[in-house]
Amino acid sequence: MTTRKMVLIDTSKCTGCKACSVACKEWNQLPAEKTQLVMSYQSQKDFTPKTWTYVTFTEKYENNKMNWLMRKAQCFHCADPACVKACSSNAISKTESGYSVIDQNKCIGCGYCEANCPFGVPKVDQVKKKSFKCEGCIDRVENNLKPACVKTCQPGALEFGEREALLTKAKKRLAEVQKTHPKAMLYGLNEMGGTTYIYLLLDRPEVYGLPANPQIPASLFLWKDVIRPVGSVAFGGAAAAVVVGVLANVMRGAYRSKEEGETGHRKGGES
Amino acid sequence: MPAQQHPDKVLRFTKGERISHWVHAISFFLLLFTGLGILSPLFLPVENIFGGIQVARIIHRIVSVIFMGVVGAMFFIGDTRYHWEWLKSVFTWTKADVQHVLAFPKEFFGGHGNYPPQDKYNGGEKINSLITILGSVFISLSGIIMWFAPSFPPALVRWAYPVHDLSMFMMATALLGHIYLALLHPDSRASLSGMLNGFVSTKFARSHHALWYDRINNRQKGM
Repeated sequence: MTTRKMVLIDTSKCTGCKACSVACKEWNQLPAEKTQLVMSYQSQKDFTPKTWTYVTFTEKYENNKMNWLMRKAQCFHCADPACVKACSSNAISKTESGYSVIDQNKCIGCGYCEANCPFGVPKVDQVKKKSFKCEGCIDRVENNLKPACVKTCQPGALEFGEREALLTKAKKRLAEVQKTHPKAMLYGLNEMGGTTYIYLLLDRPEVYGLPANPQIPASLFLWKDVIRPVGSVAFGGAAAAVVVGVLANVMRGAYRSKEEGETGHRKGGES
Repeated sequence: MPAQQHPDKVLRFTKGERISHWVHAISFFLLLFTGLGILSPLFLPVENIFGGIQVARIIHRIVSVIFMGVVGAMFFIGDTRYHWEWLKSVFTWTKADVQHVLAFPKEFFGGHGNYPPQDKYNGGEKINSLITILGSVFISLSGIIMWFAPSFPPALVRWAYPVHDLSMFMMATALLGHIYLALLHPDSRASLSGMLNGFVSTKFARSHHALWYDRINNRQKGM
């Protein structure tokens, strides 16, 4: 189980049926939520603590032709995840198979993952005070089952497999798709260190509402790699200085002479 | 001046100043300890004192209102002149202040550094005050952004976290030195009474804050 897994989301094959969203809710026992039309056929605006995957719909008109762009959105399971770095409680960890999973027993619902994820994936349940997101059906994939969304995908837009083998397949498919969609690209090859969920997009990522160059926020580096360690050393240094100060005064007899009288104290201080 | 009632004592801090100091001090301690659980899981057991991390986060917010509101209000309702004088004083730096800061490390470890007569606040106290003022302002602003995160741009919220932590580290570090000098340092701990009942001994005032002592003495004589 130590090999790195991958899910390929081939948007050229997606029909926008949203069965992945339903299968996700079923396997993960997430209740349905009231939805409303956002645009086109899209009925879910964003992730919620109870909705871990949904389909975005974009209608793009070019040369009197409509491109109907659909994308199944879920956690990317980054190789270099911002959520793991941001987590206050060591609750989010990375598996060797390539998944970022939240330990609900450790999560305190601080929301640092939500604020720092470049894709806005984790969402904190403000009642439960816990953060939720797609877990990649880690319980299924580590037991040789396909993720629920992949298993249910009828047009074959989702594929699960070993990363190396599936990447080769994805690149072959890309060459094919580029014949009709010259702007098609693979998204997630290098983004965030290489993601476990990789997209074959028909257009530039921005068209799908994805960041062109997703990154761990600079503020997160400054916070966790500069301010925390330097601040801790400064605090420790001050504590050590106080201990040394007290010991130096004890050795000088500063406390004793203070009790003996003011004259002794001044001498003690000046010695 | 009330100092007339105590010939061997001078009033250093008015009641309003002392209220500001202790409200700030106690609320800072509560904020520090209720916040530790989110700094590192190592400190999570500390939050059991408050009834768990979720209770601590509520206490943190309630106390933050006192931390920001009460001390802020004291600048307008409690011995306001002294509050503003302190604020003005710590942003006014003289050569004597710098010389005190340079001699300070020796003093800190119990030696005797050479520096010219100091005003009501010496160079070291001005640094402590500056850290406290800037730290309080930045920790409050970043805290408000974190509390009402959905009302602010996401990038601003992300920057609020490092600012909040940096302010905390600066103030907590300064606090260690402040407590040592107020309670454990043989020379400077004589100043503690100034923050308890307001008065310090004339001897302390003359030896540690001669500029200030001479000024209030002359003012009295002139009256």
